[in-house]
Amino acid sequence: MKGVTIYTLRGCPFCSRAKAFLTEKGIEFDEIEVEPRSGAWKVMKAVTNSGSLPQIIVGDEPIGGYGDLVTLEAVGELWEKLGRPRPGDTPRIYDLIIIGGGPAGLSAAIYAARKLMKTLIISKDIGGQVTWTYDIDNYLGFSEIDTVELISKFEEHIEKYDVEKMEGVEVISVDLAGSIKKVFCDDGSLYNAKTVILAMGKRPRPLGVPGEKELVGKGVAYCSTCDAPLFKGLKAVVVGGGNSALEAALDLINVAKKVYLISLTPLTGDPILIDKVTASERSEIITEHNTLGIKGDKVVTGIEIKPLENGATRVIDVDGVFIEIGLLPNSELVVDTLTTNTMGEIVVDSQCRTGMAGVFAAGDVTDVLFKQVIIATGEGAKAALSAYNYIINRK
Amino acid sequence: MEDKKVNVFSTPTCPFCKKTKEFLKQKGVEYIDHDVTSDKGALEEMRRLTEGGLSVPVIQIGDEVIVGFDKGKIEELLG
Repeated sequence: MKGVTIYTLRGCPFCSRAKAFLTEKGIEFDEIEVEPRSGAWKVMKAVTNSGSLPQIIVGDEPIGGYGDLVTLEAVGELWEKLGRPRPGDTPRIYDLIIIGGGPAGLSAAIYAARKLMKTLIISKDIGGQVTWTYDIDNYLGFSEIDTVELISKFEEHIEKYDVEKMEGVEVISVDLAGSIKKVFCDDGSLYNAKTVILAMGKRPRPLGVPGEKELVGKGVAYCSTCDAPLFKGLKAVVVGGGNSALEAALDLINVAKKVYLISLTPLTGDPILIDKVTASERSEIITEHNTLGIKGDKVVTGIEIKPLENGATRVIDVDGVFIEIGLLPNSELVVDTLTTNTMGEIVVDSQCRTGMAGVFAAGDVTDVLFKQVIIATGEGAKAALSAYNYIINRK
Repeated sequence: MEDKKVNVFSTPTCPFCKKTKEFLKQKGVEYIDHDVTSDKGALEEMRRLTEGGLSVPVIQIGDEVIVGFDKGKIEELLG
């Protein structure tokens, strides 16, 4: 029996698909990760006559990339080359795959499980944005509960049902057209389902200025609930003008020596919060200024700002920069295949349908108008029930 | 296998710190929790371990240091 070698590039979706395909077919392979133009890549190019990735080699024979692999398998030739008979069994097909394990996804799982749908949740982590804050006071039934406890309760509830979970795994691409949806993960696995619920939520919007990425964790932060206490006696800046920014400023005012609030526009948050921040001697509000960069070599030492109207650039000496300028939907997987709005949120109807048959979406990743935990759980339930209706009406 | 010493540097309000400690408890791993907001020595130690870092949680397993609740890495280092 001949061996299979695959040359791959980290992060390349077709490489992952090729590996997943081989795994699914029960074909073992040796993987050689290469960087373009490296020594190993040049060897690969010499053997295969191609510089693109992935490149698959059976025995000594290069057979091409992912497309070539799939075609060769479909016509039976791959098995001939491997010197093996073609196996007869078909891959496992779930009724529903839920991408995202926040409140929307977890709620969908309960409803799907109770309809006896074979369900799989795939998520990098369980809990989502709600775990970025310490407690939540407006979830019905819990006048004040810390978020870790609330998510534990959600998880315990799901344990009572037959729901499969793939945690710590990230979905890197999806094939949603067609009657069987395919979900490709970063560990090389491929999952198939009749329906998919997209519940990936949102992530903090980065400023996108020099110094930001390099100094994350070294003074640049996105979660004031976590990190504000570390700035005791130090100077910090909050970038943003809405409620999150004002709340971060208040967290910092309690501990820091000085807190600057820098906003591109006049402040948009609640007046009550603006008043509280303004009232403190330790705060300074600077509106209508743009942030140009974050200074610092190993740790943050300052922030460079410039007024929108004419005026000079200046650097304020600070030890920390908290970025609170809003959220981005995690819709990259589908932004070119599904309808999204100007903010990148997935557009859904009142049944959580996306416009592509068998594909539903719920929670903050959608254009649902208000982003709250209890709304996400409601949307998740609706999406699961819609997925169920879709399946039973298809048969 | 010899048990590695586990230190967690945390703040009282950080939900990821809480998650980390619950995860370790679930695994039956013994650890020492250092509240860097009340223990100045711990804050300095944490910043030393992370080369000036200002972010929690910081988890020290043996000689290795992890910043943030990285479940996979923690499991890997615990062996």
